[in-house]
Amino acid sequence: MSGEPPTRCSPPRDASLLAPTRRGFLRLLGSSAALVALARIPVATAAPRGVAVGNSALPFFDSGQRRILASVLSRMVDTGGDSIDPGDAVLTIDALCASLDPTLTEPLPVLLQLVEWSPVLFQLRFARFTNLPPEEQDDCLRDWMTSRLELRRIGFAALKNLSMLGWYSQEASWASVGYAGPLIGRGSVPPSGAGNGSGA
Amino acid sequence: MIVDLLERGGDLVEQADVCVIGSGGGGAVAAAELASAGLDVVVLEQGHHWTARDFTQREDEMFPRLFEEGGMRATRDGSINILQGRNVGGSTVHNLCYAFRAPPAILRMWREERGLEQLSDEAMAESFARVERNLKVKPIRPDEINRLNQIVRSGTEALGYSGFVTKHNREGCVQSGYCILGCSYDAKQSMLVTYVPRASAAGARIYANARAERIEADGGGTRRVLGSVVDLDGAPRASLEVKARAVVLAAGAVASPDLLLRSGLGGPHVGRHLHLHPSVMAAGFFDEDIHAYRGIPQSYYVDEFIDLERDPHRGYVLMPISGFPVLTATQMPGFGRDHYRFMRDYAKMAGLLVLLHDRTSGRVQPDKSLSKPRIEYALERADARQLAEGLVHCAEILFAGGARRVVIPFLPEALVLERGADLTQITRRGIQQGRIPIASTHPQSTCRMSADARRGVVDSWGEVFDVPGLFVADMSVFPTSLGAPPQITTAALADRTSQRIIARRSEFSA
Repeated sequence: MSGEPPTRCSPPRDASLLAPTRRGFLRLLGSSAALVALARIPVATAAPRGVAVGNSALPFFDSGQRRILASVLSRMVDTGGDSIDPGDAVLTIDALCASLDPTLTEPLPVLLQLVEWSPVLFQLRFARFTNLPPEEQDDCLRDWMTSRLELRRIGFAALKNLSMLGWYSQEASWASVGYAGPLIGRGSVPPSGAGNGSGA
Repeated sequence: MIVDLLERGGDLVEQADVCVIGSGGGGAVAAAELASAGLDVVVLEQGHHWTARDFTQREDEMFPRLFEEGGMRATRDGSINILQGRNVGGSTVHNLCYAFRAPPAILRMWREERGLEQLSDEAMAESFARVERNLKVKPIRPDEINRLNQIVRSGTEALGYSGFVTKHNREGCVQSGYCILGCSYDAKQSMLVTYVPRASAAGARIYANARAERIEADGGGTRRVLGSVVDLDGAPRASLEVKARAVVLAAGAVASPDLLLRSGLGGPHVGRHLHLHPSVMAAGFFDEDIHAYRGIPQSYYVDEFIDLERDPHRGYVLMPISGFPVLTATQMPGFGRDHYRFMRDYAKMAGLLVLLHDRTSGRVQPDKSLSKPRIEYALERADARQLAEGLVHCAEILFAGGARRVVIPFLPEALVLERGADLTQITRRGIQQGRIPIASTHPQSTCRMSADARRGVVDSWGEVFDVPGLFVADMSVFPTSLGAPPQITTAALADRTSQRIIARRSEFSA
């Protein structure tokens, strides 16, 4: 191996830009590590059916939080055609969060409140996220997505991944992306070498 | 005998010649070989015993069942997602069945630079052959190459690059494409359907939901393994204790060093030298429907950019990749209508990933939670450059294969390349952790093998220096990054360690 000391390649951070706001943000969130983990949620999904894990029978979010989540989800997933009903997707997310290690999900209610009040906190506008028209909700989410604050970007990733999980776990969503779904129980599998979905 | 300790209830107190910790690519091999040789074997597996009947082909159900931390395991900064199995059979239950022997140039480098003279091609050949026979390794037939892999092959050949159709360990594959969610047809020759049943038939007692938390090896010939019976989310429900004359630690390159460190064993190199084979991907969009998720996911392999004979320390390979909708949706850039523009073409999407033979060295350390060790890994600049260069080649291969558009999922704004675009845009953006999704499925080298006790954790037979009777038999023993898919090498080294224990059986049997 080379004797040259390795140089590291991490994202640049402008501490002078981040420091004051970030401290307050950290206080609000309580646990950034948990959010980091939630940002990896692409593959962390709902509890297995028929298997009791943690408190999965109990709802995780209260009705107000579910309303914010539904509002976020409606903007995260926009298939352009019929307006989507986020109800089932929110229930899926709720079940997931109820089943996960509490240290992972602890910051989520706070994160939703931050999104709800982000027009006030980050855009100096006296409005709630859920009361904004769709285009302005998109602007708000875009502000999170492109924020210089790493934790806001992580928060955005967590909400996006939860939304995608909630939506694309619904069988009703699969046709819109051309996914034929599982083959189990259909009594057939693709013909050898087809690899084209024709067996679905 | 496979026992679900949750279902059985109560504490576990056991005694055996050998206690094997982990039932994946190394542990299952050790358990089967040792039990078949007449040794009394107990296996502790912290994950659950899921079988083909449980594999529902649904992302929302299978990831929590089959993966550590529900699939959320990541480096401490969250920038690299690390997928590892947590079930009887370990990662072999969700892997994609590339079946490669360790490259001869890597074995040579391990001999010449690490002093591991015993790892000769001839000495390893017997273990490789035995493992391949037991896993039914065979070439993938031309008619088994799905459209995704055909496209990658076509693009690679059009550019004059080197690539080949690989071998795999499937038998009677129906080409459903759900390998990563567990094979519902028992066609994948994972440990779950090969070595684990063999170990069980030979008398090994395999305990699921059994987490080892400490190994005691203070004096005398008996080792004690202490731990907990755990439920599906890792919460302890009862205690366990196994007394054995030998312990084979095969919990993977994250959990194995974590356990050694918690036990105060193994010396200063434990947990260090972590390699990840980090990977980044490009997505190509085609005019035709590809349905990349159907058929054998990976059958072609681009080796143009790795020449281990010339330089065994660097290079990368390219591999086709597909995902089901949830995973794909989380990887596609943006949100809302913009995001759906990509998802709408999900069926027309083909992925190609760069898998790096990394020089970067990370670290695993215990943390507060027993199930979440601290994993640190900061890409060296040279490795980041190689990943970016690899993405350029992914894009050119996808275009040569017919893609009309290639997306590099940089964060927060993806790079969308149309045909004819300047691909150096990729290297100009560069790879920065946290600015592009990076994944790892091959953590390794955290209990590395060495001829010199001052430079490693285990000797050339996998035995921990200064702790006779404690062996490590998983990817953590690799002296360096392997530079190739590790399944067969892991199993072969575990086989070799097992033969060593069998040869010394008088020390370990009652």
